[in-house]
Amino acid sequence: MSVLRPNASVMGLPYTAPGNAPRGFTLGEHVDPEDPLEVGNSSNPHGKPRAIGPMGRRFQPYKNNGGTVVAVSGKDYSVIASDTRLGSGYSVPSRNVSRIIKLTDKCVLASSGMQSDIAVLHKVLRIRLTQYQYAHHQEMSLTAISQMLSTMLYYRRFQPYYTFNVLGGIDAEGHGWSYSYDAIGSHEKVRAVCSGTGQNLLQPILDNQVEFRQTAPEKKPEELSLEPCVELVKDAFTSAGERDIYTGDIVELAKVTAKGVEIEKFELRSD
Amino acid sequence: MLGELEGTVVFRELLALFPTSWLERISSHPSSEAAEKTVTMSGFKLTSGSGRFERDANVQSSASGEPIRHTQRPMVTGSSVIAMRCVDGVVIGADTLASYGSMARFRKISRLHKATDMCVVGAGGDLSDFQQLTTMVDKETNRDYCFNDGHGLSPKAIHQYVARVMYNRRNKMDPLWNYVVIAGMQNGDDGEEAKPVLGLVDLVGTHFESEVIATGFGEYLGLPLLRKAYREDITVAEGKKVVEQIMKVLFYRDARTIDRVQIATVTKDGVDMGEPFKLETEWSYKAFVDGARAGDMSTW
Amino acid sequence: MFLTRSEYDRGVNTFSPEGRLFQVEYAIEAIKLGSTAVGIQTADGVVIAVEKRLSSPLLVPTSVEKIMQIDSHIGCAMSGLTADARTLIDHARVQTLHHRFVYDEPMTPRACTQALCDLALRFGEDGKDEDAMSRPFGVALLVAGVDHTGPNLYHTDPSGTYVKWKAKAIGAGSEGAQTALQESYSSNMSMQEAETLALRTLKQVMEEKLDGTNVEIAAIRKEKGEFRIYSQEELKECITRL
Repeated sequence: MSVLRPNASVMGLPYTAPGNAPRGFTLGEHVDPEDPLEVGNSSNPHGKPRAIGPMGRRFQPYKNNGGTVVAVSGKDYSVIASDTRLGSGYSVPSRNVSRIIKLTDKCVLASSGMQSDIAVLHKVLRIRLTQYQYAHHQEMSLTAISQMLSTMLYYRRFQPYYTFNVLGGIDAEGHGWSYSYDAIGSHEKVRAVCSGTGQNLLQPILDNQVEFRQTAPEKKPEELSLEPCVELVKDAFTSAGERDIYTGDIVELAKVTAKGVEIEKFELRSD
Repeated sequence: MLGELEGTVVFRELLALFPTSWLERISSHPSSEAAEKTVTMSGFKLTSGSGRFERDANVQSSASGEPIRHTQRPMVTGSSVIAMRCVDGVVIGADTLASYGSMARFRKISRLHKATDMCVVGAGGDLSDFQQLTTMVDKETNRDYCFNDGHGLSPKAIHQYVARVMYNRRNKMDPLWNYVVIAGMQNGDDGEEAKPVLGLVDLVGTHFESEVIATGFGEYLGLPLLRKAYREDITVAEGKKVVEQIMKVLFYRDARTIDRVQIATVTKDGVDMGEPFKLETEWSYKAFVDGARAGDMSTW
Repeated sequence: MFLTRSEYDRGVNTFSPEGRLFQVEYAIEAIKLGSTAVGIQTADGVVIAVEKRLSSPLLVPTSVEKIMQIDSHIGCAMSGLTADARTLIDHARVQTLHHRFVYDEPMTPRACTQALCDLALRFGEDGKDEDAMSRPFGVALLVAGVDHTGPNLYHTDPSGTYVKWKAKAIGAGSEGAQTALQESYSSNMSMQEAETLALRTLKQVMEEKLDGTNVEIAAIRKEKGEFRIYSQEELKECITRL
């Protein structure tokens, strides 16, 4: 099974042609249909099985540890949230691994994808932020971070960080913005976005409830303020936790306002 | 195959006798036979005109010219590691079997390694990779010991070090094929008492700390039992019993396990590696004896 | 002089027993042979002006470039070995562009000056470094730019030191020019007054008679944020005010 999102294939990452896509939703462990060494591969029944060692598996450098990340921004705030479940295959090796990082007092990043790549990306970002501060005697702005993250991801174009990031914060004018990235740095500046295994479940909710897409003009409510927005994000995660097996356990939710960053946690179902 | 290898060696030794410029002269000379011919040996090509060895597309070579051999698969393997963080220390257990495929190849090896006076490293997966990893960890702890500054390498530091090594190797497509469990006591800042630490690192660099950890087959069968048994106030003495019981469950169902296990503990008094011992097993349960067809609704 | 210093003025990275790097000091001396350049910072922007030495009436004055743009919001004036300045400015242009590429924002003049000085200090004999020279750069720069804090004027020298100034003169006439600037500078002067002061200061220290061809003037204004070298007409207009 491909560990990529549909239509988001990236060179160097495992890719499964649609015709070969198996049913089910196993993440992590991956079978390469093109690989003649794979034994007992259902998509290659006539392939000559060859001995590949006593354990019969080949190394796959990428795996998806699942998780959902969300960023919703309003006029003067941004809400960034992520669950803390670490998934691998059908297992949940850990229920409390943070995927969210406070970069500055005005900017928070949440990443889903492969945990080890996320950890390294966050480490490198920390270093780059500190270096910028030393070199320029000022904190990095939201826009500067958003562009730098893109270049950092693209720098690894041919061996990407398998991470899907959402960035939220307030810019120099005090306006809240969300940014969403693919694994190799393509990005978009939006109001509300979500990435990760719960993307398909959550994005339509955000489109409808935050951006009021397909809503009659006279029915469009007032601009969403912080507290209702936080409630919306919590509801969205509760919903994703119901149907996405890779989302659950705990949600870490960061509220970015002019006053700074406040992080709260709440529990999801743990099954 | 053998002939090809020998040929490579002989050919390379021959080349070493001649200065490179001489080689270039032959190969670039238009009337020279060598210039017309392309020699291929074990992935090395001598192409006309270039006067150099070109790499065959499907063979990677290192700086020394040797083909790189990466661990693409585990060979001699260990199965589960079961560990629990308790209120007064950490318990970590593993059986003593190293399998070669389905063969129980080495029955009395240890998959637990005492890294420092306050830290044990255990692993499942490829045994030789684990031995290399312990060598690397020992080198680090030894280096740290030589500073003689009164501070040992902490379990958290070892955990992070192992995570960096594993991630680095996966980036090189040359992984250490292991699931590594790090258990230890972490000294607190000034006078704070030491806290138990338990962490995992896998072959692609995934790393986290958790109150309970089970790897390999134990991830499926042992982890739920560990989570059920866990309490915030569970003691090492209780934890040891839990780990032993889980090892027993695993022995009943994991075909790559034997009934000889080692359970180590780390407490404020240091590491107790524990003597390997034989599990007490009971095979006369009705379900074991009768099996699935005896009208039993279970699938035993 | 050379007799006493002969042992320690050869190697560019060898200190004398008195703790001096003679090659760096000589490089600073080289600037005092260069044409004069002045820079004045006001609340609204920065003006920089340079003298051009036209050694022959056959020389085409516009080909003598002593003010150069680094980025849209940063420019600089130079004095000393102007050829050396080309290397430095090329470097700064790359750095400012790279900054925009990575951070999607303009580089601050301070960071740009720091980047210039990083290169200026990277002289030595090893030759491994592509950009670096085997000797110190024989040029001083006046870097003018704006950032979120407002207008900035920095001075760099061959030792890789940079200092922020309200008004600064470099080059052959720098001593006299600096005194003149100190006497006439006021922190609330307008940009027009700064233009006049810059040209008047140059006029005082120049050997030739100042006219529309033998000086160059440029400015960056806070509200526009664009560094621009003045056209002939604009320069002439400034000169008429003298």
